[in-house]
Amino acid sequence: MDQNNSLPPYAQGLASPQGAMTPGIPIFSPMMPYGTGLTPQPVQSTNSLSILEEQQRQQQQQQAAQQSTSQQATQGTSSQAPQLFHSQTLTTAPLPGTTPLYPSPMTPMTPITPATPASESSGIVPQLQNIVSTVNLGCKLDLKTIALRARNAEYNPKRFAAVIMRIREPRTTALIFSSGKMVCTGAKSEEQSRLAARKYARVVQKLGFPAKFLDFKIQNMVGSCDVKFPIRLEGLVLTHQQFSSYEPELFPGLIYRMIKPRIVLLIFVSGKVVLTGAKVRAEIYEAFENIYPILKGFRKTT
Amino acid sequence: MAAPAVCPGCGSAALLEDAHYAQQQLVCAACGCVLAEGLLTSTYTDRQHLRDIRIISEAAWADLEGRCLLTGIRRVQDLCKVLQLPAVFEETAVSYFQRALQHPSFHLVSLEKKELLGGCCVFVTCRQHNWPLTMGTICSLLYAKQELFASVYLSLQKELELSVPALSLADLVKTHLNSFQLFQHTADIPAPFVEDKEKMITRTMQIVELASETWLVTGRHPVPIVTAAAFLSWQSLQPAARLTCTLARFCKLAGVDLPPPAHLRLKELLEILLRMASQLAWLRVFKMDKKTVVKHIGDLLQHRIFLLKNAFCLEDEEEQRAAALAEGSPGSAPAAGGAAQEKDCPSKGKRQREDSPRPLLPPCLINPRKRLRTAAPSASDSAVTGDEPISDSEIEQYLRGPEEIQTFRKAKGWL
Repeated sequence: MDQNNSLPPYAQGLASPQGAMTPGIPIFSPMMPYGTGLTPQPVQSTNSLSILEEQQRQQQQQQAAQQSTSQQATQGTSSQAPQLFHSQTLTTAPLPGTTPLYPSPMTPMTPITPATPASESSGIVPQLQNIVSTVNLGCKLDLKTIALRARNAEYNPKRFAAVIMRIREPRTTALIFSSGKMVCTGAKSEEQSRLAARKYARVVQKLGFPAKFLDFKIQNMVGSCDVKFPIRLEGLVLTHQQFSSYEPELFPGLIYRMIKPRIVLLIFVSGKVVLTGAKVRAEIYEAFENIYPILKGFRKTT
Repeated sequence: MAAPAVCPGCGSAALLEDAHYAQQQLVCAACGCVLAEGLLTSTYTDRQHLRDIRIISEAAWADLEGRCLLTGIRRVQDLCKVLQLPAVFEETAVSYFQRALQHPSFHLVSLEKKELLGGCCVFVTCRQHNWPLTMGTICSLLYAKQELFASVYLSLQKELELSVPALSLADLVKTHLNSFQLFQHTADIPAPFVEDKEKMITRTMQIVELASETWLVTGRHPVPIVTAAAFLSWQSLQPAARLTCTLARFCKLAGVDLPPPAHLRLKELLEILLRMASQLAWLRVFKMDKKTVVKHIGDLLQHRIFLLKNAFCLEDEEEQRAAALAEGSPGSAPAAGGAAQEKDCPSKGKRQREDSPRPLLPPCLINPRKRLRTAAPSASDSAVTGDEPISDSEIEQYLRGPEEIQTFRKAKGWL
């Protein structure tokens, strides 16, 4: 891909043996002495930053490194999420919930931010609006009993074959089926969704059923953000025809089906973007970072 | 009745059960006399035992499917004939329809949806050849609900992976205006209302382009915009006689439906035109309002590039000015404009003076609906780990006490 061409030849040889890695390999800036305690710098293309900004970024990265030293995990999957980690250091501290990526083979304690293409970061972080998760309570349930003995439950078998239960904190809704499976919606973060699902399981337990908490899985995450400029949807559908579907007769927004990551984005003329279909938070961030340069291209009108 | 023991004709006792083709008969072997016959046909009551379960054999099922395919193809062909489409379209639409019916996700949908599927295939074909056909037309031809058509169309587009180009507004204008009945003298249309088709098409096209440049078209249904633009262009070609005619009357005379959003589009178009008029030197003298600006639409359209630039702030300049005025007083920012661009426009309150340039933005950004935005997740929210202990008291608040259950049971009559 693009990033490989910009690498000096010696850096390519430092590719980590972990097979899952793609161009996000650890790259050391030529200015940095090899093996020092400082966080290695990503290679920047020439036209972007001045030295002053780079130093600023170094400092922020160090802060970020210290903050996230506790969260060391090798992310085998998302090779694109590193882009976000890098972009975030230009503005604020790293986002909660992102874990840094590949541990450096040279300095094991500091995370690496691989090189990103020359585009500036957007500085905008999509907010998560809804998380849908499922869990198996592991026992058959009598929905009539649950509806009778729980205050926060509604059950209308003629309309829908599940009990709809709500709790106040975190503000969520659950659909509980007689097979013991449960769907929990409305949480604003993965941890909140898990906490809410546990609370529902505890309610069902207290109602007298031997409820367990098996196979908790996040099924869908929805995020939204605002790029703060209007977008020419007609232009976007012309240039990205194979991904976009824009039918003003049906829906005022453009439906953009991104392939990598597999996310569906709803893009509106006001500049608001809704991202959905993600299983992990990083996919939403990655999708937004992918779409932002495309949208900026449609910013200028006359 | 009991079979007789001897033949009444010859008295012989040699009686045989024999079948004459499909009919059972009791025949005397000696003289050939027929004593009794079976029934050729059965009555409705006799067939009672056959009616409850209809077992369809494989062959019959394939026959049904084949018939479904045939009726569907015939419907597609009829649609193409009604819409007077070229023969190429018909072949393409039929091929799409066959492909779609064989796709597993469409194989077993309801008959209603299969009917819509035919319409969707015609619609997709027209769009791919840039033939301006709107969904409204197809829905009315098929007597279908718009939402159902929308869902079938979207799933067809996804399953068959068809790329459908966007509707071209220019062609839509021409097609829509073709259906107007204002271009010939008839009894029920007053003489000054009849208009030349070519002139009206050109001017409507220009107004629609103007609307598209000023963000009135993106995200909106196209037909009301074309209707409103046609009305304005018709009025402006002979303003003296036509200014008193309303949009509703115009549509009735033209024999066209008046879509509800057309009034709003008309208002927005007039607002844009008024702003442009305020920049035209020889019009500044006059006090323009919605009626009078129509007379000058011709001039406004002729100089529209220049006027648009002057009447509306471009975003670039706005950002530079906004950055320079970083300490600008928040009090003067109008309630209507959330965008930073509005801060340095000298405006007090929501209504801006007509001569101050306003940023060129879509109407949804100019008049944002005041909605309570959900707050960003607070620090306490983000500290949730998902594995916190859950207190019993918190769970108990969601459970009913025994007396409550009793009263609830009585009230609901459940067991």
